[in-house]
Parts: sequence; C-alpha cells; structure tokens
Amino acid sequence: MIQKTIILAGALLLFSFKALTPSVEYRVTSGTISFKSEASLELIKAQSNELKGIILTEKKQFAFKVNINSFKGFNSPLQQEHFNENYLETSLYPTASFEGKIIEDVDFAKDGTYPIRAKGNLTIHGVTQERIIKCDLTIKNGNFNIKSIFSVLLEDHNIPIPKVVHEKLASEIKVEVKANLALK
Amino acid sequence: MRLLKNSIIFIAVFAPWQKGFTQSLGNKLFSLTENNQAYKINTIYKDKDGFILAGTTNGLYTFNGINFAKVNFTNPNIKDTVTAIFQDNSNQLWVGFKNGKIAKKNGPALQYINPKEGTPNAPITAFLQDNKGNIWFSTNGEGIYYFNNNHLYLIDDADGLSDKFVHTITLTNNGDVLAATDQGINICNIVGAKKNVQVIGPKDGLPDYYITSIMPAGNNTYWIGMQEKGVCLYNHITKQIIIPNVSTLWPYGQVNSILATPNNLWIATQVSGLVKCSKNGNATIEAFDKIFNKTNINNLLQDNEGNIWMTSSTDLISTAGDKLSLLPIYDNATYQKIHTILSDYENNIWVGTDGGLIKYTITNNTIKNKNYRINGLTSKTDITGLYQDKYHNIWISTMGEGIFVLDPFTGNYRNINENPLLKKASVLSINGSGNNVYAGGLEGVATIFEVTDVNNKILNNYVFTNYDNIPNIGNNYIHSIYKDKIGRIWFGTDGKGVTVLQNGSFKNFGKSSGLKDEHVYSFTEDLKGQIWFNTKDAGVYCFDGTTFKNYNETNGISDLKIISLKTDKLGNVILVNENGFDILNPQTGTVSYLNNTQGLSAINPAIESIALDTAQNILFSTEKGIVLYSPIANTSLQPKTIITNVKLFLQDINADSVHQFKYDENDITFYFTGLYFTNPAEVHYQYKLEGRDTVWINTKDQSVPFPNLRPGKYTFHVRSSLNQNFINATEATYSFSIATPLWRKLWFIILCLLLAAGLLYWYIKSRETNLKKLQQLENEKIQFQFQVLRNQVNPHFLFNSFNTLISAIEEDPKMAVDYVEHLSEFFRNIVNYRDKDVISLGEEINLLQTYFYLQQKRYGDSLKLNIHLTGTEKDNLFIPPLTLQLLLENAIKHNAVSKESILTIDIFTQNKIVVKNNINAKINPQSGTGMGLQNIINRYNILSSEAVTVNNDSKFFTVSLPSLKQ
Repeated sequence: MIQKTIILAGALLLFSFKALTPSVEYRVTSGTISFKSEASLELIKAQSNELKGIILTEKKQFAFKVNINSFKGFNSPLQQEHFNENYLETSLYPTASFEGKIIEDVDFAKDGTYPIRAKGNLTIHGVTQERIIKCDLTIKNGNFNIKSIFSVLLEDHNIPIPKVVHEKLASEIKVEVKANLALK
Repeated sequence: MRLLKNSIIFIAVFAPWQKGFTQSLGNKLFSLTENNQAYKINTIYKDKDGFILAGTTNGLYTFNGINFAKVNFTNPNIKDTVTAIFQDNSNQLWVGFKNGKIAKKNGPALQYINPKEGTPNAPITAFLQDNKGNIWFSTNGEGIYYFNNNHLYLIDDADGLSDKFVHTITLTNNGDVLAATDQGINICNIVGAKKNVQVIGPKDGLPDYYITSIMPAGNNTYWIGMQEKGVCLYNHITKQIIIPNVSTLWPYGQVNSILATPNNLWIATQVSGLVKCSKNGNATIEAFDKIFNKTNINNLLQDNEGNIWMTSSTDLISTAGDKLSLLPIYDNATYQKIHTILSDYENNIWVGTDGGLIKYTITNNTIKNKNYRINGLTSKTDITGLYQDKYHNIWISTMGEGIFVLDPFTGNYRNINENPLLKKASVLSINGSGNNVYAGGLEGVATIFEVTDVNNKILNNYVFTNYDNIPNIGNNYIHSIYKDKIGRIWFGTDGKGVTVLQNGSFKNFGKSSGLKDEHVYSFTEDLKGQIWFNTKDAGVYCFDGTTFKNYNETNGISDLKIISLKTDKLGNVILVNENGFDILNPQTGTVSYLNNTQGLSAINPAIESIALDTAQNILFSTEKGIVLYSPIANTSLQPKTIITNVKLFLQDINADSVHQFKYDENDITFYFTGLYFTNPAEVHYQYKLEGRDTVWINTKDQSVPFPNLRPGKYTFHVRSSLNQNFINATEATYSFSIATPLWRKLWFIILCLLLAAGLLYWYIKSRETNLKKLQQLENEKIQFQFQVLRNQVNPHFLFNSFNTLISAIEEDPKMAVDYVEHLSEFFRNIVNYRDKDVISLGEEINLLQTYFYLQQKRYGDSLKLNIHLTGTEKDNLFIPPLTLQLLLENAIKHNAVSKESILTIDIFTQNKIVVKNNINAKINPQSGTGMGLQNIINRYNILSSEAVTVNNDSKFFTVSLPSLKQ
C-alpha cells in the first residue's frame, strides 16, 4: 500500500522561442493537467494547475510543459512521495513536456472549434516519445481553448512498475489537458 | 549481377518513336455505373483471390470480369470516396479514403478504424506492409504514417520528408520505404524509434522533381514515373539513376502508372494513352495505343491470366497485354491472296502473294515492305508454303510450279529443278528442321532435302530423297511431312492416315489403329516427344510411342476444323481454327482457348499460314493483320474457382469462421465464381455436395441452394472450366456440418428407451399390485360372506329365531307371518349383496332394519337402534354389504341385553359413519373368533385410503367406518 504511485503526462514550455521571433505567440493563461490511473484495485489521480505553454500560429508550432512536483490531490502524502521519488524521479526529471507541430492547417483568425492533431515529442521521465495527440481547439474572440484527452503507456517512458503494485497501477494512464491561451 | 547487367542492356535499346505500331487485342471496357450514374475509378487493386477491386467516388467495388459488386459499410449510406486499397499478409483488406479515413474489411462489410491518434485529413494514396508486419500509408498533404507498437507515427517535413504530398509508397527488398513525392524520391526507414529520411532529387540525377509512380523492376531497381520526363530506372543499392533513351525526348506527358512485364514496359500516361516499350533484343516494336480513344490512362495492373488492366475516369479497361498483339501490316486485298506467312531470323514477316513475296520489316516503330517478284509465278499461282533454312534461304512451295529457293540478301532465286519429281509439281507444304527440308504434295511429292554447307549459296544443287511410289505412304496426296527429334519422318496423307518412316521401314496407321479420320494435315511435337497431328474432322491425335489418343469436343476442343497445330514456347499445343485457337496442355489434358472475345476473327484457313518466330511466338494471318500470340509463363489459362459467399436462409454469415450449423439451420446457399477475366461468360461449373451427392452436377449458375439438408457432415465442392473438360479444373471447397437434433442423438434415444422401459415396468408392477389387491378383496369378500352365512346359519341365531317364531305363532300368528317374511327378506338380501363390493348406505340400513326387526322380536325394548342419517347420506355414501349388520350382531353378541341393561346402538355420521353402542358387559362373555370385525377392517383397507377405527372406552364401543363414495 505504501507503493502507491503515479505517473504522469504533461506538457511543458519550451525554454525559448526567441530564435523564432517575430511570430504570433499565444501563451497559456490558465491550464490544468490531470491524470488518472484506473487499476483494478485502486484509482489514483492528481492534478496540476501550473501548465505552461505556447503556440506559434504562423509556424503551427507549439510547446507545453508542467513541473511534476506541482501535481496535487493524491490520496495520501505517501502516495505523492512515491510518485515523485520512486516513479517519476522528479529530482532528476523535474518536468514533462510536449512540443511539436500541428498537423492540420487551421485558420487561427477564425472563430470556431477545430479538431486537430498535434505531432510532437512527449517527454516524461526523461524519455522522449513521438506522439500524435488529438485535441479540440476552440477559437473565440482571439483566445484559444484547448482540450485533449490522451493516454500514456508507462513502458513508453521507462517508468518501472514493481510487481507488488501491479494491480494498483494501470499500465496506461489517462491524461486530460485543458488550457486557455491568449495572445501575448 | 548478371540480371543487373541485362536490365541495363535492354535500356540501351530503347529508341524514340513517333507513332505506335502494334495494337492491343482483346480490349474491353467496363463502365462503373450504378443507377445510371457513372463513378470515377480512383484506384484498382488485385486481391489475393485475383478479383479486381475498384476504389471509386462511390465507394469500393469488386469486379469479377462481368460486373461490379459494391462492398458496403455496415451502414450502406457511407459512400466515401476510395483512394487506396491494400491487402496485407494476413489477407486483411485496408481501404483508404479521400477524407483521410481508413477502413478495414470485417467479414462482408467495411468498418472504419479509429486509431487513438486520429486519422489524417488528407487523402490516403497508398498502403504497404513493412518487414515487421507494420502497416504504412501515405497521404496527399500530410506525409507518411506508420503503425508501430500500438502507436501511429507520422513522417513529415519535420522529419526531413521533402514534401508532404506523397503519391505512392513502395517497400524495397531491404525494408526501406520509397515514397514518390512532388519533391523527389524519399527513402524512409525506422531504426528503433528513429526515423531516417533520405531524399533523392535532381542533384542525384533524377530528371524531374515530380515523381508520380514507382514500380519494382527486380534486382533492387525500380522504375520511376515522372510528371514531365517520362520514366527512369533507380538502383536502390547504388542510388544510381539511369535514364533510358525513351525518356530523353519524352513527348507523352505525365506518367501516371508503370507496369513491367517480362518483355515489355507499359506506361500509362495522362495525355497519350498507353505507351508500350519493348524490352526485346533489337526489336523496337514499341507502341502507344489510345485504347478506346482514351488518352488519360491510370492504374496499371496485370491479372493472373496476363491481361493488363487500367482505368480512365469512370472506365475500367483491359487488354490481352503481352499475350496477343496485332501487326496491321497489310490491307484486306493483300490478305485475300495470302496462303502462307513466315517470320524469318530477323523477325521480318514474309507473306506469299500475287506471284511473289512481300517482306515486312518493322524498325523504329515503322513498317517497310519490299516485294520479291518471282519469274514464272503469276498472280494466279498459289504459293502454299514458306520455309527459311539454316542458311537463311527461303524456300517457296507452289501449286503447279514446284519449289523455289530465294536468297533474301541478294534477292536471287531459282526453281529447284534438279528433282524431276518437283517439276511443275503441286507442293502443299514446305517445312524443315536442322539440315532437312521436307516437301509434301500431290502426285507422290514427298521429298526430303539435305541442306549442307554448299547450299549456303542457292545455286548449288540439293541432295534429296523422294519417297514416291512407296505403297505404305498411302496414296500420293501428302499434306505435310515432319521429322521429329528422334529422326522419325511422319507423312500426313489425305485419306490414308499417317505413315511413319523409322529405321528404314514405313509403317501406316489408319482406321485399324484407331484413327477415326484418315485425313491428316499437320504435325507438331511436344516437349515430351509426343507427336500431335490434326485431322479433317476428328480433332487431334497424340501419339505417345505406342497408342494414339484422340482429343475432340468432349475434351474441350472448341472447333474440330483445325487449320494447323504448333507447340508454343511453354510446351502447350496450339490448335488454330478459323475463329481463334485452343491451348491444349499435354501434361494435364486441360484445354483453354482464345477466340473472338479477344479480337480474333477470320483466321486464314491455309495450313501454312501459321508460323513461329525466333522467340517461338505463334503468328497467324487474319484479315486485320498478323496476330502474334506470345504465351506468358506462370499465367492462368483456366478459371480460378472461388466460393465467394455462403448464406444461411439467404442471410450473410461469416463463412470464414462458421462451419457448424444447428439442426434447423439447414438452408444453405453457396455463391461461387470461376474467375477468368479473359472470357468470363464462357465459364461452366460443376458442383457436388459430398455427403449428399455422389456425382458432379453441371450448372452455368453461380449459386446453388441446398434447402432442407439433413443433419450430417458435408463438403461442398465446386469447380469451373471453360468447357466440359473438368480434368484438373480448379476446385473450391467448403466443409460444414449440420447438428443432429436432440431427439436423434444416441444418448437421448437410449434415455428415452430406458424411461419407456421404466414406465412399462412400473405399469406392470402396479397392475400386478392392483390385481393382488383385487384378489385379496375377492378373498375377503368370500371370507366375509362365508362368515356372514355361517353367522346367520349359526344354530343360536336359528334357534333363537325359531323360538321367537314358535312363541309368536301361538300368541300372534299374524306377527309370526310377518316375522318369517322379515327373516326371508334378510336371507334374500344377504344372497343379493353377496357379490357386490359396496352397496349404498340406504340399502344397508334397510337390511339392518330387517335384521333389527328380527332381533327386536326377541329382545323387545331392551334393544334400541337409533339411525341418524339423512336421505342424502343414504344415497351418496356407500358401504361394504352387511357391515352394519355385522356390527349390530356383534353388539348383541358381546353385551347383555335386558330390561336392566338396555343396549342402544347409534348410527350417525361424523365425517365417518359411526356405529356406537353402550357396553353392558356379560358375566360370561360369549367367546368369538373376532373374525367379523377384522374382516371389515381388511375390506376397508382395500377400498379406502382411510382406516377403520375401533374405540373401546369401557363405556362405549365405537366403530368409525370411512365414508366411501361411488
């Protein structure tokens, strides 16, 4: 029971886009990322409100990141400790990120809801995995709202699951992201 | 290495050409229409069964050679535009759509797949399966996707792809993926999780950026089709690009699709129709052909029979491809005069006509003809045969003018007059092999020439042997002479069968040897050394060294009027008739044919008008020109039998997995096709339901229903053929079983038998018990009657009765009479009721009252009987006879009856019939056997489930009798 844990997916701010300027930048004004592990014996979930991110509309590029230790809402402090120390090794890999390019061509100037796919590198636990992630982009009055639900396989990111907790931790973690972005 | 060298060599022979010369034959056009609306065909694909699948603006269709059948989604309203089709190694069908969606075929219906990564929003252009089994697909606008470890990945510009518009992808031998893009060729591979993309573009020698198609050319080389610059050959090992001559000045517009066959390269173009480039030695029979006047051609593929398929907008088009081509080298007037043709060592075509020869030379896609006049021959002279000997000199046989020999290089010729037999002779055929030339004709012309080095020059005399006046040959009318590989010389005679010269002696075979027709026309020898010849009316014969085997219409020969026969390069025997030809496989005995459905008609009926070229292609002359038959190895000449569907009660089932049916699922219909695109209308079927039928049943239908099948195991066999010859026909089977119903299962039958036996046993047993009971009742009754009688004839009873009577006679004679009447009634009743099991309570009460009367006369008021019974009770209740009488008698017997001790007997009902009397114990009790009461108890045991209860509380003696109802 001690071995309760989690994983995580997330997203993360690329350090700098200075080189890409001038460009139209949209930044996250408020963003949450939550995850859920639905194992047969235990439901584990946590949430972070500290999602950061940017979308460069001209180049269709994006980057999101989150600090792993900003995840709150675990079942117990012990669970959070295991999450940070045993599984995601937060001290070594403090952030999770997703950065890449939007596949579809979107008219960012036009209000509407666009189902889009983002192709990029998802880095969790220091392991980068290329992913295509579906999300809904809603544009309204020049502000962006992004919603996405996707799953992360623990083995994709070298996150070990001790056998003892196998039934308490799902091998596939569901991640949900919601973010509002506004022109910088 | 050697192969690579060859492929470069043939490129060198490409030559520019201006206009197509050879023409396609067997052209067919199928418009894809549904409800009078035509739909554009975007892509076609040959599935593992050989069906052609068409991806259209109205969805996916299967084409069987005759019609298109829609492949629907489970929801038939989905009619999305199909842009790519693929069948993977496990036969799973993948379909890509213009809207970027992807479907798989699941059972009979399509179903969209939903990868968690979503599906593209750009048209799917192609699929492939890599060496790890992963599926890749290309898109027009988003790059290339591939599945790996449950994820879908994308290769796009960010990964180095030169362009996201990918027209097609092809897997190479080493597992790389070649992608044709608007910006060159991209070589993609995945190592671990790393994507590698290498671009081959103009700086690498590629003539054009815009790549439209990629076609494997063998040996790690690939044909590349381009937008403007024709085709080029890309070597994946050396990365070298080779530009063939044909592409140096490519005038045919955008290349849409490429098909490489062993001899030719077929190129479908955007504006110039179908371009065919020969890969054949020095010959330059290259052509472009606007089949059905279509200029925009796409999607080339070759079916299993060698036909070439293509699309043009809403049309699906096929041609006989490499198999048959037409050289329209002469006009109809010339054709009418031709009786013989020859293809020489340089593949020039010679025809005999109008008192001379014409040589047709086809170079650089142009035709040149040269006339050779022969002095001494007029336009009326029939040139019967042409033969080119090993020195390339051409022998000409004539009717009435003997034989001429012509040197094709100098044009010199001479009449062979050294043989007097041939002077002004009518020679019907001229043939040869090796050093020999044979001539057969009328009036005993049967001559074999030896051609030796001196005969390099035609002026030198030939050595010859005449086989005239040899009686064994038959008469002196020889159609043809043939020398086989082991040196036997065969003579085909007109009416005397066939004669063979072997080891210096002649032997004749005719009717006595089993030949049904003795008019023998021409010979050929198959690869096993069997000799084949055709006859005037009885088809062909095959001589295996000992016997003659006849092949006629029962073997599938389509026309017995065979002009001539030849062995083709695959070893099949070709039987040419006026409307086409049969292809007889000497190994299997199967017969196929090509006929007017392939554009063949009006074939020249002269024996010598059929020729072989150096590549052993077969040429014959038709009114449209020379037809070239070039059989293709490993192609199918017979329909392929496929069970396309199995329905239960006319409803679809998943026939791949369902083979067992319930006992009432017994109406099964099979749908099948003998897939044969070349001549689909001519396919015949035979089927047999093993487990029901013992013989094959003929049909031309493509379905057969089996209603009301009995339970059992079955195998449905179906086979197809182009004729009635089903030997070695392809067969398809479907095994299934129909369950035996419960009531026909052995265990159930045994169970039922056991149950029946049990029931019977029980019945017998219970009947026995019943009989025993009845027997017992009868016994009891008899015993009771006996008891009663004994009691009533008891001396005491009689003595008492008589005493009573004596005193009554003296005192009251009238009463005495009455007494005797009662006594008599009492005995009469006893006798009456003796045999009955039960009587009504009323009857018994009457009897009891009679008895009571008798006793009362003795005891007076000391004996009282009170009966408290209603009329209904008397009528409805029943009782064994004399029961109450006995109980009354017992009461009197066992009690003192006097004025001091009155005996009162009460009879009433209280559920039961109760007989109750007060006890006045006698000082000296009368001893009794107790049999009377016991007898009553026993009788009730048999008659009723309730028992008689007897209660003696020293004041009252009570007997309760169960109520009996009728």
